Amino acid sequence: MQMVDFEFRKELIKDDFSLNYCYQCGTCSSSCPVAFITNGEYNPRKIIEQSLLGLKDLLLKDQKPNVWLCCTCQMCVEECPQNVFLTEIFERIKNKIVLLGEPYPETFKMQAKSIIENGLAIPLTQPIIRRRDQLGLPNVESADISELKKLLDATDFEKKIKILEESK
Amino acid sequence: MSYNYFLGCVIPGRLPFLEASARRTFEKIGIKVGDQAKCSCCPDPTGAAQLDHETFLALGARNLCLFEESNNNILSLCSGCTESLKMVKHILDNDDEKKNEINLKLKVIGKTYKGDIYIKHFAEVLHENMEKIKEKVEKPLKDLKVAGHPGCHYLRPSEIINWDDPLNPKTLDELIEAIGADPIEYDMKNDCCGNPVEKSDKEISLSMLESKLKSMKEAGADCIVCVCPACYQQFDFNQREINKNKNTDYNFPVFYITELIALALGIKTEDLGLNFHRIKVNEILQKIP
Amino acid sequence: MSKNLKRVMVIGGGIAGIQASLDLAERGIKVELIEKNACIGGRMAQLDKTFPTNDCSICILAPKLAECSRHPNITLHTLSEVKNLSGQPRNFNVKIFKKARYVKEDECINCGLCIEKCPMRVDDEFDMKLRKRRAIYIDYVQGVPSIMRIDRKNCLLFTKDACRICEKVCEREAIDFDQKDEELELNVGSIIVATGYDIFDPKTLGSLGYGRYPNVVTALEFERLICASGPLDGHLKRPSDKNDPKKLAFINCVGSRDIKNNPYCSSCCCMYTTKEAMIAYEHDNEIDTSIFYIDLRAAGKGFREYIQRGCDDYAIKYIKGKVAKILEDDQKNPLIVYEDITTSQVKQLKFDLVILATSMIPKKDAGNLAKILGIKINDFNFFKANSYQPQISSKEGIFLCGACREPMDIPSSVVDASGAAAKAAEIVMRG
Repeated sequence: MQMVDFEFRKELIKDDFSLNYCYQCGTCSSSCPVAFITNGEYNPRKIIEQSLLGLKDLLLKDQKPNVWLCCTCQMCVEECPQNVFLTEIFERIKNKIVLLGEPYPETFKMQAKSIIENGLAIPLTQPIIRRRDQLGLPNVESADISELKKLLDATDFEKKIKILEESK
Repeated sequence: MSYNYFLGCVIPGRLPFLEASARRTFEKIGIKVGDQAKCSCCPDPTGAAQLDHETFLALGARNLCLFEESNNNILSLCSGCTESLKMVKHILDNDDEKKNEINLKLKVIGKTYKGDIYIKHFAEVLHENMEKIKEKVEKPLKDLKVAGHPGCHYLRPSEIINWDDPLNPKTLDELIEAIGADPIEYDMKNDCCGNPVEKSDKEISLSMLESKLKSMKEAGADCIVCVCPACYQQFDFNQREINKNKNTDYNFPVFYITELIALALGIKTEDLGLNFHRIKVNEILQKIP
Repeated sequence: MSKNLKRVMVIGGGIAGIQASLDLAERGIKVELIEKNACIGGRMAQLDKTFPTNDCSICILAPKLAECSRHPNITLHTLSEVKNLSGQPRNFNVKIFKKARYVKEDECINCGLCIEKCPMRVDDEFDMKLRKRRAIYIDYVQGVPSIMRIDRKNCLLFTKDACRICEKVCEREAIDFDQKDEELELNVGSIIVATGYDIFDPKTLGSLGYGRYPNVVTALEFERLICASGPLDGHLKRPSDKNDPKKLAFINCVGSRDIKNNPYCSSCCCMYTTKEAMIAYEHDNEIDTSIFYIDLRAAGKGFREYIQRGCDDYAIKYIKGKVAKILEDDQKNPLIVYEDITTSQVKQLKFDLVILATSMIPKKDAGNLAKILGIKINDFNFFKANSYQPQISSKEGIFLCGACREPMDIPSSVVDASGAAAKAAEIVMRG
């Protein structure tokens, strides 16, 4: 049985309240390209409805609809007649999934790791460096990894992601 | 205040030829853009940025600090980076509490975010200089039917990007027109290419791409033009994938708008690395005088 | 010295202005009715039928138009606009700018010879640009006053100093190119503003394809398309190929209840889309209609039952889900992408014709008129009405009625007009 979690609902609403303005008109799902392709199995209106109801388990554990399928095209945000900042609410849901150690797509984790290790989502490889040379492009002076690590430690980034690995 | 490039990850690390076309184009129209050392991932608004809001703000703010220190505005070569950086700036500039929080984190690396530089997408700067481009066109790309794909983060959320019309974008088509080519109308112009969903579901991502390609084909496009490396990859790398699975024959050459502008400005093809495109562009090059 | 004039000026000759004028005139008060267009009638004249009775709109309106034009207490000023206002309640001084008609009002008998011979073809605004009119014309067949006017912007004599054909063919010698625009001054005791509304332009909502897709039209265009006196003589065809449409979709709240466009509810659309669907069904029983809505706001007396009748007797499907996206197939059939909220499924449906229920918005020049009259406008640019006596404007002696103060349907406008007339009369009748 799904339980209503008011605390969860409050955390999603946070201090901007845009979620509260949703009147469930369905503009978001009509404008969403992923909802279209999945016939509404991915459904932004439903995510907002469940957020408004505080259906925590459904959103974070069952992940129905799967919030990771949002393509972040921001069409829903742009079309929403009530100025609900849907993608911001989705981000909050994703953050909570990560923090709780619930499963999420591996590629996101890999990208995060690459940023921790290289400062970049896509590290510069030797063939690419040669190709850059060939094209007469200047060297890319990358970020100082130890400096980045300090900053990422300050936000507990690795820990937030490790929680996930421990739970496995 | 002048610009420094924010290159991002995808362009320098995977598609350096797009960077070459941008650098040559800006040189040719006489806009000096410097290089900014020590940037990290923006971070990716469709990826790592979704994992932890605080880290998203901290990483973004660090990048902004670098430009503040070198006293340069940001000229971003990627729509994703543009959105991330504009978003971080928007949040921090409008929320002192948040700014103080993030500055507390930045303190450990000796930085403070102030908020005194701005971010521009490279196509925005090109659009501002459209008259200059028109003057310098040597080889107008006549009769070239171009399907412009503005993409998402180039336009939306408009409250943060604050640039072209988010639902009726015009600027990319105007740039295409400026070099003598013919920007075509097609049904799915404003739709996402599908690239970001690839991280969670490849099949959905390809379906999204396919409906775009179908719409471009129906409208009679010769080639596709985009302004974001993620879109570029989706179009240039995945058309074959679709053909394999769905028995179609999509074969649109894909250009960065800077590549087409560079060609129109008479920059030599060798200097652009057009041979690195997966879908060959020769047929299009033959159309150019 | 202030004399009380038993005379009221009514600005706007739509159903609200007409009703207010008739009420006042019947009470023995002189009325100066100011109309910007060449004929009175307003939006109601453009409608095919009215809800909830499905009466023919012009049949209800025409007797009132006639009464207005021949009532001894009403002076009609067409092609006229208010330019300035001075004085105070009971003694206002109004400057009116009256455009030349270039047709002698007393001579023209509306025989139509001139129209036949005029070589110009111009978009017909009354018919929502769905057909062409001539440079000499009458706004609409039943228009009152029932006389021609020449449209200076398009008449060849004024644009190229040529032609004069209408002058030659007019047996009554009614054409008078020497007429000049005039300024007149009127003294009135009180004023009623009844300037009506404009229609939201759905072109700004790019994802709906209006303007790009020929078979996506607005509700007012649909009224003209299906009206017996409209461009298709009442045989509904779709614009792209003139085929009979069999599958219609209405989209409610286009531009309404939308913070980015018009935050308010236009209050009539749930009802008029049902009405238009009913009329379409009466024209052709094979027509299958879907109405996409956010909520069905059918708050008037008998309105809910009207919608129930739509379901039961006219096979209208009401689908809960706002449409944000329309595509088009290669046959120019609009494809609606929507979520059916009752099932949470997102689907695409093909239609022959899509009708957008666009919001009612303030008149483009409402702000300007407000400045001239010295009255306030509200947050949405409608004239600001007193909360508890909504016919009262922000200025003593000036009253509001109809859709110029907020979106409202015809019955409400008529009620409103009588209320405003009573208020305006109160001022001029007081000693």
